[in-house]
Amino acid sequence: MTQLKEQAGQSVVLKGIAASGGIGIGKAWIMPNSNTVVKPEKISDEEAKREIDKVNEVVEYVINEFNHLKNVSDDEEIKNILDTQIQVLYDPQLLKDIRAKVSKQHFGSVYAIFESFNKYIELLDESGVDWAKERMIDIVSIRDQLIKTIKNKGSELSVAENSVVFAHDVSPTEMIQLSRQKIAGLIMQKGGLTSHAVILAQSLNIPCVIGTNWENFDCESCPKVLMDGDSGEIILNPNDEEQSLFNKRKKKQIKLREESLVWVTKPNETNCGSAFTLRANIEFLNELPRLKTHGAKGVGLLRTETVLFQHKNFDVDNQIQFYSSVLDAADGETVTIRLFDAGGDKLLDDYEAEANPFLGWRGIRMLLDKPVLLDQQLEAILRVSGEYPGKLKILVPMVSRLEEIDEVKQSVHRVARLLEIKNISFDKSIPLGIMIEVPSIALMADQAAEKVDFFSVGTNDLTQYTLAVDRGNENISKLFEPLNPSVWKLIALAKSGADKAGIPMAVCGEMASKPELAACFLGMGITELSMTTNSIPEVKAVLCNSSKKELQDLADKILSLHETHLIDSYLKKWIESKSI
Amino acid sequence: MLTKKVTILNESGLHARPSSELVKTASKFKSDFFIEMYGYRINGKSILGIMTLAAEHGAEMELIVEGSDEEDAMREISQLIENKFVAE
Repeated sequence: MTQLKEQAGQSVVLKGIAASGGIGIGKAWIMPNSNTVVKPEKISDEEAKREIDKVNEVVEYVINEFNHLKNVSDDEEIKNILDTQIQVLYDPQLLKDIRAKVSKQHFGSVYAIFESFNKYIELLDESGVDWAKERMIDIVSIRDQLIKTIKNKGSELSVAENSVVFAHDVSPTEMIQLSRQKIAGLIMQKGGLTSHAVILAQSLNIPCVIGTNWENFDCESCPKVLMDGDSGEIILNPNDEEQSLFNKRKKKQIKLREESLVWVTKPNETNCGSAFTLRANIEFLNELPRLKTHGAKGVGLLRTETVLFQHKNFDVDNQIQFYSSVLDAADGETVTIRLFDAGGDKLLDDYEAEANPFLGWRGIRMLLDKPVLLDQQLEAILRVSGEYPGKLKILVPMVSRLEEIDEVKQSVHRVARLLEIKNISFDKSIPLGIMIEVPSIALMADQAAEKVDFFSVGTNDLTQYTLAVDRGNENISKLFEPLNPSVWKLIALAKSGADKAGIPMAVCGEMASKPELAACFLGMGITELSMTTNSIPEVKAVLCNSSKKELQDLADKILSLHETHLIDSYLKKWIESKSI
Repeated sequence: MLTKKVTILNESGLHARPSSELVKTASKFKSDFFIEMYGYRINGKSILGIMTLAAEHGAEMELIVEGSDEEDAMREISQLIENKFVAE
């Protein structure tokens, strides 16, 4: 806490969670905590009329704001949440309660709103039901928004253009107001990656970093703040060197973004006409609209654990709904569903903490021990495949032994037979593939390839298992080297196994999202890459601007180097020579 | 006035989304609509009222509809609940 007064003149580096990409440079602006003190003030009969008018006005105003918000977001999930919030503002019982508190009990509008909402908030809080508590937060925010609007009437947030906004938390309406004022970026202490504010920041292209404890620092007097929404880095009072670095980064980013978006609609081929496919890694439903805007050809990796574990029950029906919505968004392209890749900690009550969770009971190891869970997921996938024949693929995570492939195939057959008996249609030739993320299976790639329809390389886990480096351990974070020659060697080995068996191999790990590494993979003959949607345009721009020969030469060179730093510097030089 | 006993059939109970569907359906009709559960009566057109019931899977409740279009209202509302809140 004492840091704040000592920081004068010195640059201070803060680290938060990257939430919405881009570089923000500007003067700090601290969002005021609005006045929400509520007192039970009594009013006269005459005032009561005016106060009722106030209630009607403010409710209408906030409904309008929510409707406006609905138009900004292209996310169905958010629209649904907003619809429910609008419904609350139309709630006849609530409005009746508020009006009665004003006209019969002679309380002011603010207190009447506060008290009327609280009755429901308390009931939800006491209900002991999880979803009720979650909704309670929304309802508290509606209440506060009404009160804020009455109290600060007419005082729309006014921010100087190009400010970096520091906030504790930002409500959706505040976010809309901020976006109208052309802010340079947003730094929040609170907020989750799926909060309204973050999703809006993403769709409005406002750089945003969350989870930042900026309140301990004297941000207000900062003449300049630098922030990087892709890395989560924030610099207060930057020195000249830091400033010119960020200026350069920003220019490069703007240029890249503009130039790469041009590539979205171009065909996926190198400048000599050799085809490749770029697909999206998808974890949340709100990412789906980006498939189209960023030019993804379907989904190369659908993570199923996050979305389904958010809901307590991931029964077959819920899963069918989830997978179907992804397939609809994929617009006729394929979707590869990865089976639950979670350890027991996320899932089961009887789970005990493991000493080495990454080497523990996770992925297919756990699924094979939990046949009900596995069968339910397979049933949901197969049923959906009947509706979208030829569009679905199953990807098995954390395979380390050939036997596991046989066992999971048996499960698929068992579920398929049950569906046949029930006369339910499904895709009988649905492809089944495995993740290449454990070295043992990469080493057995020739044999594994004989048993499956495709490979997909998960580069982060492959790196940590190959190098014996826990990627979450900060003491050894320097040793986590995805570019390590041993990792490349294993990828090449897996590719050769896939080629011999004549099956396709994709890379769906983080490495694929770096243009220079994607270039290298394509040079190795890996024509299918899957990555976060945001990276697709940039990767595509580089691949489209290269020839097959050039990429092959790059891959040959990289595979011939034996030290990570040599690989790193060669790739850096290569990508620099590419930047236009 | 019509009354009817119903059971919540959908797995996750009367959470936010189903509550919202229920209000939408009930609000189409002129009739008053109430829900009684555990001796607690709420306005069935009030989303907050419904949510505070926190009715879980298997919960039993009584629907009370009164007004000029009560028959249509009761039919649609109970159908929605029986269909696990999937609007047709």
